[in-house]
Amino acid sequence: MLVLAIDTALDACAAGVLDTNAGRLIAQETLPMRRGHAETLMPLIARVIESAGIAVAALDRIVATTGPGSFTGLRVGLSAARGIALAADKPVVGVTTLAAFAAPVIGENRKSPVISAIDARHDQVYFQTISGDGATLVHPRVAPIEEALAASRFGAPHLVGNAAKLLADRWPTHLAPPVAVDPQPAPDIAWVAWLGAAVSPNAAPPRPYYLRAPDAKPAGNFLLKTQTLAAL
Amino acid sequence: MLVLGIETTCDETAAAVVERQADGSARILSNIVRSQTGEHAPYGGVVPEIAARAHVELLDGIVASAMKESGVGFPRLSGVAAAAGPGLIGGVIVGLTTAKAIALVHRTPLIAVNHLEAHALTPRLTDALEFPYCLFLASGGHTQIVAVLGVGNYVRLGTTVDDAMGEAFDKVAKMLGLPYPGGPQVEHAAASGDATRFNFPRPMLGRPDANFSLSGLKTAVRNEIGRINPLEPQDISDLCAGFQAAVLEATADRLGVGLKLFQQRFGMPRALVAAGGVAANQAIRAALESVAAKAQTVLIIPPPALCTDNGAMIAWAGAERLAAGLTDTLETPPRARWLLDASAQAPAGFANTRAGF
Repeated sequence: MLVLAIDTALDACAAGVLDTNAGRLIAQETLPMRRGHAETLMPLIARVIESAGIAVAALDRIVATTGPGSFTGLRVGLSAARGIALAADKPVVGVTTLAAFAAPVIGENRKSPVISAIDARHDQVYFQTISGDGATLVHPRVAPIEEALAASRFGAPHLVGNAAKLLADRWPTHLAPPVAVDPQPAPDIAWVAWLGAAVSPNAAPPRPYYLRAPDAKPAGNFLLKTQTLAAL
Repeated sequence: MLVLGIETTCDETAAAVVERQADGSARILSNIVRSQTGEHAPYGGVVPEIAARAHVELLDGIVASAMKESGVGFPRLSGVAAAAGPGLIGGVIVGLTTAKAIALVHRTPLIAVNHLEAHALTPRLTDALEFPYCLFLASGGHTQIVAVLGVGNYVRLGTTVDDAMGEAFDKVAKMLGLPYPGGPQVEHAAASGDATRFNFPRPMLGRPDANFSLSGLKTAVRNEIGRINPLEPQDISDLCAGFQAAVLEATADRLGVGLKLFQQRFGMPRALVAAGGVAANQAIRAALESVAAKAQTVLIIPPPALCTDNGAMIAWAGAERLAAGLTDTLETPPRARWLLDASAQAPAGFANTRAGF
């Protein structure tokens, strides 16, 4: 299976082509990047596909990270993936950034749980806790850092994700310290691709996984407000 | 020449396929618009993050529908056009990225269209209008008078220095507790109102430039609302009628000046063209008729579906640019701000207002 993987959800702009038969990426490019994904991504994908020496028509599947992450970033990657899928008539799937961060260490040490955490600012993180053998202990959520630290009840964890260091720095001193801390700025595109190859298309829709509602409040009684304001 | 056009700069998710013949004539093969009004109504206005979320959710399906209805397959497209700005950046990113993806897959030329240019070129799609002509664009996001001289050749003759005209209508509606979108509600209420009861200001009236200002008028309406308690339906109608009358008089005056400036610099325009959602207002249409007649030119208003945001105008502008040899690269940035006339300057005294972009 040939899988085109795309990740722009966090601080990288990345794409790769996985050949599952060869068991490796046959082309990839990852640029560290905080902003500018919208300008950088499509030429980068064009280079990766050319370097892979394949036609877009040869792809079997497209995968993109769905978040959580930068709202703008994940929309760039998902628009690209869905646009390519539409134009090339290929299936498209999504995988979460939390899963992509955790994937490399799941099964590595079956006793330690894995906390996959992404900085959500305002002293909050997006996080998910997974047992060493891959079972979800805490579903993905956005919560204050303190709440993520409460996952220490599952034992000394392996911390992954761009907020791994944030959690490690705040780790309660009376508890066993994390067994490992992998503070990567973005998921490894190879693991995005492998997860994308493994998921069932029906169970992994290429839809944004924001975990936060839009910051907007329904309109109240504007007439009353206007009269109050005008009366001041 | 077959061009796919994508529009996502505000609260419409839209795609269309337009065919341009060698002689410049056009045929719309499909034109799908999915308005997000329902998503934004509870908030009394367009919420940018909600708009961006809706665009990414809807756009690929809308493009698929437009392609299917047109009967054209992706490989047959001569170009893929998207509105690359100006507008709400979240939506612009979704539309432009989707267009780039399609262009990448089929090695189709990409055309990054200025949303305002698409409005400006629409009468050539609907009425095969020749250059030069004078455009009055009034929508929820823009209020401009533009001399349209050729593809890619635009001179801004006037602009609002604060609120857009559609925005002013919507805000007045919101202040009066009328449902969103408020423009048509204000027009409806005004029909049974007494326009002379309130003496609202006519901003910019008599000035030698062709600029607009609407925020002071909006504030004047708010002040009047504050004095009336309780507000009866007739008060609402009278306030709407007074507000609309002030807008009409200011518009007629500003456009009269704009057309005069046009004639001084570029000769007779072949038409006065109105576009944008405000052009759907019947009272404004009537005022524009008389302005055009006074300037001895004709008024052209494209059908409502092509006056408000749509994919066909983007596809058409893309086709016009493609025919002129103008295409863009996959690096093209999405732009929240993008002057149609790059040389346009804010009028004196308004350097730090919206007129600067």
